[in-house]
Amino acid sequence: MIKELTNERLDIIESNLKSKKIQEFEIFFVEKNIYETIFLKDKAENEREINDFEYFIRILTQKENKTGIGVVKGNSLESSQIERNIETCVQLSKINSSSKYDFPLKVSNSPINTADKSILNDPLSMKKDLAEVLISEVNQQKDVVPTFLRFRLHNNHKFLRNSNNLNLDAKKTYFFMEFSLKAQENGRLSEFWDVGYYKEKEHLKLNERVSSWARRAKDTLKAVQPIPSDDALVIFSPSVLKKAINPVIGIHSLGRAHAEKISSYNIGDVVASENITIIDDGLLEGGLSSNSWDSEGNPHQSTEVIKNGVFQNRLYDQIYAILEGEKSTGNAKRAESGTVVNGISNFKIFPGDISYNDMVSEIKEGYFIDKFSWLNPDSVSGNFGAEIRNGYYIKNGEFLNPIKLGNVSGNILQMMENCVYISKEREFNEDTLFPYMAFKNLNVSS
Amino acid sequence: MSNKSYEEIFSKFEEITNHYNRRDQYFDILYDSISSTIIVKTPSSESFSVNTKKSGIVARSFLGSWKEVAIEANGDMNIIKTSLPKVSNKGNLISEFDAWSLNKEIKPKIDPAKVPIDEKIKKVREIYTYVKNADKRIINVQVKYLELLIERIFVNNEGCKLRQVIPRTRIFVVPIAKEGSVVDYDYFIKSGEMGFEIFDSIENKVLDQTINNSLDMLNAELPPAGRNTIILDSSMAGMIAHESFGHGLEADQILRDRSYLKKHLNKQVASEICTIYDTPSLEKKLGSYFFDDEGIKAGHNILVQNGILRNFIYDRRTASVLKATPQGNGRRESFAHPVNVRMSNTYFGSGDYKLEEMISEIKEGVMLVHGSFGMEDPLGGGMQCTSRKGYLIENGEKTKILKAIALSGDVLEMLKNIDAVSKDVLKLDGGTCGKGTEDMVPVTDGGSYIRAKNALVSPG
Repeated sequence: MIKELTNERLDIIESNLKSKKIQEFEIFFVEKNIYETIFLKDKAENEREINDFEYFIRILTQKENKTGIGVVKGNSLESSQIERNIETCVQLSKINSSSKYDFPLKVSNSPINTADKSILNDPLSMKKDLAEVLISEVNQQKDVVPTFLRFRLHNNHKFLRNSNNLNLDAKKTYFFMEFSLKAQENGRLSEFWDVGYYKEKEHLKLNERVSSWARRAKDTLKAVQPIPSDDALVIFSPSVLKKAINPVIGIHSLGRAHAEKISSYNIGDVVASENITIIDDGLLEGGLSSNSWDSEGNPHQSTEVIKNGVFQNRLYDQIYAILEGEKSTGNAKRAESGTVVNGISNFKIFPGDISYNDMVSEIKEGYFIDKFSWLNPDSVSGNFGAEIRNGYYIKNGEFLNPIKLGNVSGNILQMMENCVYISKEREFNEDTLFPYMAFKNLNVSS
Repeated sequence: MSNKSYEEIFSKFEEITNHYNRRDQYFDILYDSISSTIIVKTPSSESFSVNTKKSGIVARSFLGSWKEVAIEANGDMNIIKTSLPKVSNKGNLISEFDAWSLNKEIKPKIDPAKVPIDEKIKKVREIYTYVKNADKRIINVQVKYLELLIERIFVNNEGCKLRQVIPRTRIFVVPIAKEGSVVDYDYFIKSGEMGFEIFDSIENKVLDQTINNSLDMLNAELPPAGRNTIILDSSMAGMIAHESFGHGLEADQILRDRSYLKKHLNKQVASEICTIYDTPSLEKKLGSYFFDDEGIKAGHNILVQNGILRNFIYDRRTASVLKATPQGNGRRESFAHPVNVRMSNTYFGSGDYKLEEMISEIKEGVMLVHGSFGMEDPLGGGMQCTSRKGYLIENGEKTKILKAIALSGDVLEMLKNIDAVSKDVLKLDGGTCGKGTEDMVPVTDGGSYIRAKNALVSPG
């Protein structure tokens, strides 16, 4: 029923475009339904429900060696406003001067399911039930209390049509959780605070997750500043790795970065330790960015980015593929403004041959970083420095004591060449499926 | 609703609001509309995007906890009455604040709506071309122009009837330089409550300085790691005031028992030469407005006075529980986002030192300039603020240029170790701030130069 209603809305926009004899156009339409409970300590403080939609129109004006691309965003379906949007979009496309571009043609996609039927059918019950489980798990923990929690369900439906008869739609459901668990002892305070999206209900693992949050909050009570080292061996958790690798290795792997001369990667270069293989996989089951098609309608696929340390393939959306004489790898993302940008889909790193526990036991002296305050490496240079929020000092193969404060610094590009261990275990974190990895030659200061 | 006049929206909102008696329950409704133009130019692409008017409505009621429903502006408004039922005798669960009326549109010097889009694009292209051609070591330039027009209409059942229309504009220029295998950059950003006149402030000498800053970074060295005397420029000082300190003063964290500052009210938290403010009523700043998204008038909040913590930062709910006077800090990113306690324009007051004096008194130290990013730690009081660049100070002089520097450690220790604040005119830089990682709102932060002893720095 909703899909029919939305198709009617799309029809209104499309018929307007056709009546104005627009030759090359695209309509991207997104419906968003969001259901959220925000808790103050363990009591619901705000129940929210959001019903929203927006659409983006892109129009192309072909020029001799260039293409003009106009983009307009709106959420009004009144015909006068749609007409104004189209006029503005045409005007933008006439002024714009981008490299040569065409909209993708209609091709077959590998269908994958990205929506949970039980969420689609009854999101409010699902939210209520899971939030109750979450609070129950939290209240069963000893010596920790929640300070706040946010629990949210997203139910999105997106539609893409273009003037090449492409006509696609996809539903996606996913979760959001933010929480802080606090521990207190003898006037000392500590917390474990985390935030993230979870694609599948199975990824929530509320029982296991809450116990782990509680343990880490309590451990951090005993945390001390790390012992400084300018040649440190550091294990990064999968969630830390996501924040390290995606903004640097992800950027350097893009066709856009190559075209704009900011990528330091050439095909065939050794860019990482031999044990590292990274795949961009837009079809990854359980990946937050998984879908049959990318944001301009090209099929998602699996692309080998780094194999055994060697850079293999760049990731292209349509415009950079055309610019560099390549084929799109399905790496178009939709920015909030409606423009299409070249970006990674889901990154996965092949597992290693050692268990996480064995990895720790192999280390004579090192550090395990569970969370930084904010790991925000420079995308171009790869340099980073971040404050430790939750971590452990490792001595003779064991966690000797928790650590906090102090900084870990280094360079992500160089770090990838200094990987010592990769765990067998991997974890989903939004658009990544990463193992635990240990790197040498990092700097720890305090 | 998006094509209706504001009088019609007021009228419709009052009709809905009258459905809910304040004695029985608190109710408010907000219309949020945003129009924007974004122009981005890089070596391989130009991106022009116009948001013609994305609008929505959010209504909520307080029944011991909030319940709210948000819809796009042309959605079925009957959902409000069905989702937010009428109740009895719950009006006293939240305090009543002053009712007032306002209808205010900020008129920029040059209204962007009256400037043809091709003229805006021409300006962006001119900046791009000037920077790109300035030096062969500039391998990449990114220029981004963003103009926003934000309209908010608020009605509640305490008698508030408010409308504000605020233009906000930003320009961001990043010249990326390369020499040998070294790639680095600095950037220029200008933002504020203004219109197309923003381009008037971007003269060639400003761009030349930005280009030179990027080229300088090619020769920058890694900063030392460890304890040092530091000088922070206004952007770094502002980042400390906002990220490391201010987030701990947001009173939702007080209600959550999640602030290291809860026990410090009316106690010394900083050197006595420090004063810190949050002032949404400042004029023409990116974090300025007339009323917040709960209808509270924008005020002036002295957070720290001569080193003593004087106040927290409140929204309607926390002010009610803590029996405080809110200064207009309940903010939403948009109709689709919740109200949170948020800062606005947060800054250190100026002191009586000259920058040259501050530097000349340092034997060994580090100066951190051009704040890049920072993260809050409201429970622990930890600090992570990173500058884009820095300078080594040796024997009273700036000597070498340094790469990005991370400042970490305990924020109260750092604030108490401040021994000089410069008398320079306050400078506030604009940006966006998230509550955690989302709910972004425009803010500024700043101050003048401050100096502190024994601060922990490392490569950032």
